Amino acid sequence: MEASPSNPPVRIHRWLPYWAVFQADLMQTLRSWVYRTWVLMSLVAALGYLLYRVGAYREAGIVQPASDLISDLLRWTIVGSITLIIVLTVSCISSERGSMADSILSRGISRYQYFLGKWHARLTAVLGGFLLMGCLWLAASYFLLHEDLSLDGAAVALGTVAALLATVVSWGVAVSAISNSSLLGVAFLWICLYGASSLLSLLPPRFASPERMLHSLPWVLRGSYDLASHGRVLLWAVLASCLAAGVGMWYFSRRDV
Amino acid sequence: MAEHSSDLIVETYKLTKIYQNRQIALNDVTLRLEPGCVLGLLGANGAGKTTLLRLIIGLHRPSAGWVKVFGKRMTANSADLRRRIGYIPTNPQFPRGMTPITYLDYMARLFGLPSEVRKPRLASLIRAVDLLSQAGQNIVGFSNGMTARLAVATSLINEPDLLIWDEPTHGLDPEARRSMLDLIKNLSREKTLILSSHNLSDIDEVCNHAAVLSRGQLIYCGSLQDLKGRMRRNHYELDLDGEQKAITKLVQALKGMGDFKSVVLRQRRLELHLTDEAVIASALAAACQQIAENKVTLVCMRSVGQQTEQAYLDLVEKEESRGFARIYHADAA
Repeated sequence: MEASPSNPPVRIHRWLPYWAVFQADLMQTLRSWVYRTWVLMSLVAALGYLLYRVGAYREAGIVQPASDLISDLLRWTIVGSITLIIVLTVSCISSERGSMADSILSRGISRYQYFLGKWHARLTAVLGGFLLMGCLWLAASYFLLHEDLSLDGAAVALGTVAALLATVVSWGVAVSAISNSSLLGVAFLWICLYGASSLLSLLPPRFASPERMLHSLPWVLRGSYDLASHGRVLLWAVLASCLAAGVGMWYFSRRDV
Repeated sequence: MAEHSSDLIVETYKLTKIYQNRQIALNDVTLRLEPGCVLGLLGANGAGKTTLLRLIIGLHRPSAGWVKVFGKRMTANSADLRRRIGYIPTNPQFPRGMTPITYLDYMARLFGLPSEVRKPRLASLIRAVDLLSQAGQNIVGFSNGMTARLAVATSLINEPDLLIWDEPTHGLDPEARRSMLDLIKNLSREKTLILSSHNLSDIDEVCNHAAVLSRGQLIYCGSLQDLKGRMRRNHYELDLDGEQKAITKLVQALKGMGDFKSVVLRQRRLELHLTDEAVIASALAAACQQIAENKVTLVCMRSVGQQTEQAYLDLVEKEESRGFARIYHADAA
């Protein structure tokens, strides 16, 4: 018998820890009651509203533009379910302190990768859920209501709302990395977001605040929009999200867990 | 001693941890751990053992001082260093909805191990820690013993060079504790270990070095033999057999000898306290001579002063009694 050859050195996959956290957190988010409540609530509300509009359109013969229904639903997603989204994101790191964090952060993963995995998982869960529901609403209203939607306008509207949601999710995860208590983090972010929204609404009309963007959704859905202004909003949302991630990562890599 | 700092497995320098300017958990701890060491970390509750371990592994950030592991500074982002460490926290907790297979696979992926390495390794470890029949069960319903075995498997999944186990025998039944100690003995042949435990007999059995923490300060760091050697070896116990009359006569004879401060008989156990001036070998030889002359059987003789527990208690007591002199280091005092 020949001696077995010596084991070759193990090739470490440097981004595997990031993928592991991403996948685990995505599954955890999809299984969480907060996420399921958000999706269920949004779907039930949309179904009820759609049936009401369809009834008015088919039975009473009142014209019901699809763009009005979709813009209402998109606005409600932002305004109505923002608290659930905040709860969902602010709890992602702050609820895993102590022994649970020991089990993960004591392994071969850096804090940066851990934060990125969590951030991207929550972004995927929230934006994926929102875009799926948005497409479902668009398809339903297209076939059941007075069709006045433009394809590119719908894409711009969904993109604009998704950008705003991405900003909320990013700051939620950043606050989660900074605060010790989920409850305190939720309260803090909620106040900050509503305060920032109020301040932005005070800007001169030539600036596109989130509130003005949401009010212009019916026209956007019909294809009447200023691409440059929506591009600026998207850019600002991306910058705000990256800033949030930077702040969160910087603080999280310097704190005790 | 390692000649170069880079040869050391763990090195800390003036390591201090103050929590939110409210609690001093660790104060000025400097220690050096060489390859092959099995270090037992001793200390009362709140002495700073877990804080020291968490600082070494980079879960906590030092308020002052530094930690080097494998010759490099440990930080929160030192994933490369942590890939060579196997850690078991005090009360290991596991994510919900996972089985031993999925959990070990997750942990192995956190170490960046590719599929062709981690799958066979996790299967071997599950078999080794005797969790084969529970491999598909949810971890949440596991007993303390099963949880400890899974934690052991987790800490070995990356084949680490350094093992840091925080109270590994905590909550285990005697059989599981014995298995754990045997495993530690086997691992100590090829790895460096840091073990924290309240159970001093465990430390005595498996460790060759000890570090004693008292209220966040390192009051001893060195070999276990040296720690035991600090005790005065002037207290011996002799188990005797024979006629009671002969034993009583023997006690009277020993009391008449100048080498013994006190001679106390408790049923058939004789306690001898030697005077500080006594030469141990000759005093004990004289005692044995008396035993033989009185036709008493000597069943066994042991030194009480060499037990690790007494050495530890003596060390802590001495530290406490120093009062404000603690400002100066023990060596200087």
